[in-house]
Amino acid sequence: MNTFMRWAGFIVVLFIAAPLVIVVPMSFSNASSLQFPPPGYWLGYYRAYFTNADWLIPTWNSILIATATTILTMALVVPATFALVRHKFRGKGFADLMMLMPMAVPHIVMAVGYYSYFGDLGLVHSHLGVILAHTCLSVPIAFLVLSANLKGFDRNLERAAQSLGASPAKTFLHVTLPILRPGLVISSLFAFIQSFDETVVAIFISGRDAETLPRKMFDSIRQEADPVIAVISTLLFVVVLVGIAAPYFASALRSRAPKPSRPAGAH
Amino acid sequence: MGISLSKLTEKTNIWPWLLLAPLGIYMLIFFAVPLVDVAIMSFTEPKVSFANYQKVLTGALYQRVFLNTFTTAAFVTLCCLLVGYPLAYLMAHSKPRTAMLILLLVTMSFWTSFLVRTYSWMVLLGNNGPLIAFLQMIGVDNPPQLLFTRFSSTLAMVHILAPYMIMNIYTVMKKIDPALIRSAESLGAKGWSLFRHVYLPLTAPGIANGSVLVFVICLGFYVTPVLLGSPREQMVAGLIGHQIEEFLAFGLGSAMAMILLVVTLIILTIYHRRFGLDKLWG
Repeated sequence: MNTFMRWAGFIVVLFIAAPLVIVVPMSFSNASSLQFPPPGYWLGYYRAYFTNADWLIPTWNSILIATATTILTMALVVPATFALVRHKFRGKGFADLMMLMPMAVPHIVMAVGYYSYFGDLGLVHSHLGVILAHTCLSVPIAFLVLSANLKGFDRNLERAAQSLGASPAKTFLHVTLPILRPGLVISSLFAFIQSFDETVVAIFISGRDAETLPRKMFDSIRQEADPVIAVISTLLFVVVLVGIAAPYFASALRSRAPKPSRPAGAH
Repeated sequence: MGISLSKLTEKTNIWPWLLLAPLGIYMLIFFAVPLVDVAIMSFTEPKVSFANYQKVLTGALYQRVFLNTFTTAAFVTLCCLLVGYPLAYLMAHSKPRTAMLILLLVTMSFWTSFLVRTYSWMVLLGNNGPLIAFLQMIGVDNPPQLLFTRFSSTLAMVHILAPYMIMNIYTVMKKIDPALIRSAESLGAKGWSLFRHVYLPLTAPGIANGSVLVFVICLGFYVTPVLLGSPREQMVAGLIGHQIEEFLAFGLGSAMAMILLVVTLIILTIYHRRFGLDKLWG
């Protein structure tokens, strides 16, 4: 059983890895259409991406929309999470569930809703429309991460600060927030990625004016499978690799240090 | 001071509502209203009637698409389980270094945009791709069309959704107490029977978690089936998009969206009763 599972596992590793490694050589290909292995290599498609407004504007739109979505999401979620984790009140279970609802509704259903509703409000094809929609979709994930962090928070630290004479506001600013910072950072990051990656709602409501990168990629893949997508894929892949591998390597380095410091908590 | 503060909040109990209000109002305006809008449109577009539901529930095309969606979701879930279980096992029972490398790979896959992964499968399965070349090399003269078929979209969906399954099963496997396995062995269980009667039941919560998650996400999948699937075997989400974009048939699209939503919520409600919805993504 053991050996069988191991072999099966290794085959699955190849299956998981194959699509991830294939886009990198593809991005350097000089073929004019999808062809693997590439007949030759050049950097032409990188130049095409970095000089073409058709690709750069959607990239910029996505960054802008994801940033605004993150700020709005955190502004709404942080106080709500404090209310839900630290207070007991009637209807709390219901409120908890409502926070997770946008995660349970298929995006295509929300897309139909936004398409019609934002159409009436004049928000279709605008950055604001996409930001407002994406914020709803980012709320559950930001809440999950943050509430997990807040539940593990040792409230004696706040009580200690207050017993030493700190006002509630001071306590919050100088004790609560610094301890929660890793949770806030990860929560924001998740909200950002959720928005940056979101495709279905963006396809329906972003239009050409607020076109996001995933929407542009979707259209491009559907129409002609432009090889520039391999370049974007590679770039996104590198971003993810850096984002994920960096903490791994950091912790590997730390564990090799002569005096291992205590783990910082929220990992 | 701290005591008096907490006494105050206990008595008045207005704080949680003040803190919740901004998000609550926001979600009401930008989440609940659009959803209710879909529900209303499904009964009122183009005129007030049950015609949309009648059409969707009895029309041959719509029935076929719904059936195809459910069978695809079930099949993808099964494949994710068959693919994910051994990989989770490998991760949970390897040397730390190997386990970390595989975990890194799965995490990478999980965080890579599913558009990127869909595109990669287009390259891999395309007519000038490595898989067709391999088939020709081993002597298949007329290799079958792989792209834009049920095969290609299913394969890509399994690849995209497998990490959800793997993570859920892996988490459970990591927590299994090795003493349980050892004591089962000392009582004479080994090989298949050890796996069947001891190991598999211990991992059942992870399997349930992963399966519900994969099935529900797959039901509503739009992008991958539209880009990679056969146009003749649409999934519900694709058909909804088609109705809205091409025909501006908001009534029909909304009725299908409502059915999709209700089915999804029923599955998640059953799940929530047994396990708790917040466990699903944790």
